[in-house]
Amino acid sequence: MQTYAIVGKNVPRNDAEAKARGAALYTDDLKLPGMLVGRILRSPVAHARIKHIDVSKALALPGVKCVITGEDTPKVKYGNWRLFPDTQDEYPLAVDKVRFIGDEVAAVAALDADAAAEALDLIEVEYEELPGLFDTGAATQEGAPVIHEYCPNNISVNRKIQYGDIDKGFSESDYIREDTFHVHAVSHAYLEPCSSLAQVDLDGRITLWTSTQTPYIVQCLLASTLGMRENDVRVIKPFVGGGFGGKMELRPFEFCAAFLAKKTGRPVKFTLNREEEFLTGRRRHAMTLHSKVGFKKDGTLMAKDLKIRLDGGAYNAMGPTATFLCGNFGAMLYRYPNYRFLGEHVYTNKPPASAMRGFGAPQSLYATEVQMNMAAEELGIDPVEIRLKNAQVTGDKIPDVATISSCAFKESIQKVAEMSDWKNKRKNLKPGQGIGIGCYSFISGGVFNWFNTQFPFSAAEIRAYADGTVHYLTMASDIGQGSDTVLKQILAEELGLRMEDIRITSADTAMTPQADLGSWGSRVTLMAGNAILDAAKKLKAQLFGAVSARFNLNVIYELECKDGRVQAKGRPEKGVSFGEAVAMVQKANRGEQVVVRGAYTPRDKGLVTPAFSFGAQVAEVEVDQETGVASVKQMWTAHDCGTVINPKSVEGQLNGSIQMGLGYALSEQFVMKDGQTLTTNFLDYKMPSALDMPPSKVVHIDSYEPEGPMGAKEAGEGLVSPTAPAIAHAVHDATGYWCKDLPITPEKILDGMKQNKK
Amino acid sequence: MRLPKFDYVAPKTLDEALKALTAGGEGCRLLAGGTDLMVKMGHGLTAASLLVAIKGIEGLHGIRFDPSKGLSIGAATLIAEVAEHPDVLKYYPAVAQAARKTANTQIRNMATLAGNLCNAAPSADNAPVLLARGAEVEVVSQKGTRQLSLDDFFNGPGQTELARDEILTQILVPPAAKASGASYQWISPRGKVDISAVCVGVNLRLDGDVLKDVRIALGAVAPTPMRATEAEALMEGAKWSEALAEQVSAKASEESRPITDVRASAEYRRRMVSVLTRRALEEAHARAVENWGV
Ligand SMILES: Cc1cc2nc3c(=O)[nH]c(=O)nc-3n(C[C@H](O)[C@H](O)[C@H](O)COP(=O)(O)OP(=O)(O)OC[C@H]3O[C@@H](n4cnc5c(N)ncnc54)[C@H](O)[C@@H]3O)c2cc1C
Repeated sequence: MQTYAIVGKNVPRNDAEAKARGAALYTDDLKLPGMLVGRILRSPVAHARIKHIDVSKALALPGVKCVITGEDTPKVKYGNWRLFPDTQDEYPLAVDKVRFIGDEVAAVAALDADAAAEALDLIEVEYEELPGLFDTGAATQEGAPVIHEYCPNNISVNRKIQYGDIDKGFSESDYIREDTFHVHAVSHAYLEPCSSLAQVDLDGRITLWTSTQTPYIVQCLLASTLGMRENDVRVIKPFVGGGFGGKMELRPFEFCAAFLAKKTGRPVKFTLNREEEFLTGRRRHAMTLHSKVGFKKDGTLMAKDLKIRLDGGAYNAMGPTATFLCGNFGAMLYRYPNYRFLGEHVYTNKPPASAMRGFGAPQSLYATEVQMNMAAEELGIDPVEIRLKNAQVTGDKIPDVATISSCAFKESIQKVAEMSDWKNKRKNLKPGQGIGIGCYSFISGGVFNWFNTQFPFSAAEIRAYADGTVHYLTMASDIGQGSDTVLKQILAEELGLRMEDIRITSADTAMTPQADLGSWGSRVTLMAGNAILDAAKKLKAQLFGAVSARFNLNVIYELECKDGRVQAKGRPEKGVSFGEAVAMVQKANRGEQVVVRGAYTPRDKGLVTPAFSFGAQVAEVEVDQETGVASVKQMWTAHDCGTVINPKSVEGQLNGSIQMGLGYALSEQFVMKDGQTLTTNFLDYKMPSALDMPPSKVVHIDSYEPEGPMGAKEAGEGLVSPTAPAIAHAVHDATGYWCKDLPITPEKILDGMKQNKK
Repeated sequence: MRLPKFDYVAPKTLDEALKALTAGGEGCRLLAGGTDLMVKMGHGLTAASLLVAIKGIEGLHGIRFDPSKGLSIGAATLIAEVAEHPDVLKYYPAVAQAARKTANTQIRNMATLAGNLCNAAPSADNAPVLLARGAEVEVVSQKGTRQLSLDDFFNGPGQTELARDEILTQILVPPAAKASGASYQWISPRGKVDISAVCVGVNLRLDGDVLKDVRIALGAVAPTPMRATEAEALMEGAKWSEALAEQVSAKASEESRPITDVRASAEYRRRMVSVLTRRALEEAHARAVENWGV
């Protein structure tokens, strides 16, 4: 194992002090002279034609500066799949039709929030209501009302995967089981509600400060919807209070802020309130998963046939990608010699679902893992053993999709079993107590380019100075996950510098190198990290050249950047400080600033990702057998994220994942009636609080990913998947009830126990 | 929507407050911690033209305990203070239990116990125990002072016996009788920090081996916090047994009138009334046995 000076250390987060002191500025903290306040009028009906909109009374209200509807806008549809324009199904403001309760109908800019709010009440909209479709069953029935004219069967995307011989696989199986799972929608519930502030400069160019995970995507899509050139739009990401996949598309308030700023000539800011977030914000896809798996008696997997329907809500959002990924995750973790997948993305008259931490994996793996545990029980094999028997290993190929370049899955399973004392615990539990296991695999960024960027996926610029400092510029977006810190660690390690020697400018589309696709799919560490290494290599070539010349070094000497110096390896006296080396290069170039660029785009890496993470988790629960309340007593996790660049940061991701997984498994859900979200605040939307967090132990398995920077891969999303199946398994162990219909509520547990007694 | 404009006064004495309240007319509201009122006003569910803040009134603050008269909790007293007060913890453990369970730290540091009652939510955490413990409230207007039993206080969701010009000034809880015990039990879907989906307060006393003063109060299962009087009658004068506790709990469940909402289904609530009542009776009984010598 290689030793590092900074990588692998608990370097304090860049932003920690500013956040702790309240000095960090988020978009809503920003104020510009003459700034107007924007608000959005939303549809109160789930499905309707807009007959008529009258904004005259709102416009007449003192303090109101501008009111816009879809008719005032260029009416350009957008969506993240630019490569397939058919899938771009959203207008910034409704044109002719509304498709869910909360759909954006009009926007107001006013002197203050009160006037803006009052103006919304004064806009008169006449709707002709259409029948609403509230689940995928109704939406896919023959003759169902059509939600988008271009899509007559309401199935906007389907994806098929097939390899091996599925029929043969099942015919050779000794044991086959078929189950249908329903998993529900949950909220990202990021602490910072969406906020955007737009300003028009003297030349008519737009600057947008916005709470986003993807400044580059917002820049491009905002330009196209405004009918502007991409580089006449500048997007800046201030501090962001979490995204989890909910802030990775252009959103109507971003468009409205920019469009209203152009119309009024004044800065305009929109900040959603929590009610709007719950009512209309993106969410994790609810899905129905029909899964058939076949095994040999000894537990060897023979075949899997997976059919999934995603409840996409009213627009595609990131649904097409989730559909695609579900199919890939369905084939992960274990060796399925024969596999078939059909995924369908279905429109309904509900708020659009989109990407959310795990991006199809929590749903797909819930089915995989619960079914695995069911099969283990029926086959009389320990759930740990059946996993070890089928686990993927380094070098495994998933036909047409990927080759797994590093995989410590088996080690993770063995470790978590050891940590949790799995074998003994299972034998010695009291009534009402249970223990369960769940596993995951996830991607370290996607290799697909449906956004159709013309730039590298990640890029880095390094400016080096004679005073020993460097300035690192990247479009990568720290949204609270800590990427600014981790990327600086990689750069500091590579150049032999200290953290304080590096200035970072990130996520400003006019200042940082083109491009970076943003923070999603757990791509940033691997991709932006590799871009840094590419840039650093070029810088080092120049520095090494200068030092080599200065000391007249034999060409066979290796050089290194270490401890603030550039020197011959093993001969530190043949070297100079980093700053002196930079000064020498600068002199050699007659004063020209020392600047290098680097980039990374995954190539020849299959169809999904350059690298997969793996891990296993065990949960111990106690169920109150009279009330059905399940409480998680302890979690154990062992995982393979490649080289751990910042252990505390990884543990933070794990804790956050457990909190989210806990809510997904046990308490969070959108209660809805006829398309209306009833849980619009944290009182009714039951997110676990700090007090509900179970104690947790973690081991990072030592592994090295050849494609990752310094061996690293992802740790931000995969960890969210194993928690729900582990808890479901533990609840089964405690009560006999198998949950095939998340969340696992006390009522369901009691009913399940009753049925088992019968 | 826009938060409507309103006036605000913060009187220093009860007299000034009463004067402002009477003069303020229809649109006047009392403001304690504001944790219910401001939320409702923000959503347009309550309108107000004048808010009279009572937290600045010295005389409405404080918790006083007298072994012969009992406990008095001033209307401006915070729920956090009730939860941590040594006399409450010692002599009224179930009252402290309910206060400690209410909301979260931030809210308990803002909200008052009186506000929790005056807001008259069916799920108000502090109502069941206070009902079970036979609490009374003192109510003052410019016309005079009256004292009423908490049993007669709640009229419906958000509705109480209080006239528009009256202020609840203190909550009075009688001292615990010898060999008596009380308990508070609740359940909520999210675990540690949550509004109760069902809550139960119970009080009972042992007279020899016979049960007396049995009071069972249920929350979140009817339009107001309610007493399960038929269940109480089954136990009053009887001897303790687990079978009896089961039977009484089943009766309480029959008496409850829950609805289905985003927090729980009616059926689950009814089932939980039975479980929680039994647990509350058991805890109260254990405490009564423990208090035998007190
Ligand atoms: C996040 C959150 C969580 C919560 N969780 C819980 C919970 O778990 N359990 C629970 O029971 N409640 C909960 N609540 C509700 C609320 O906090 C309590 O009901 C609280 O006790 C109200 O007290 P207050 O002092 O804030 O009342 P206010 O909001 O000031 O007043 C409430 C009502 O009572 C009237 N009023 C107040 N004082 C008097 C008086 N002395 N005389 C006459 N009328 C008066 C007011 O005019 C108003 O109509 C929660 C609220 C929030 C915002």
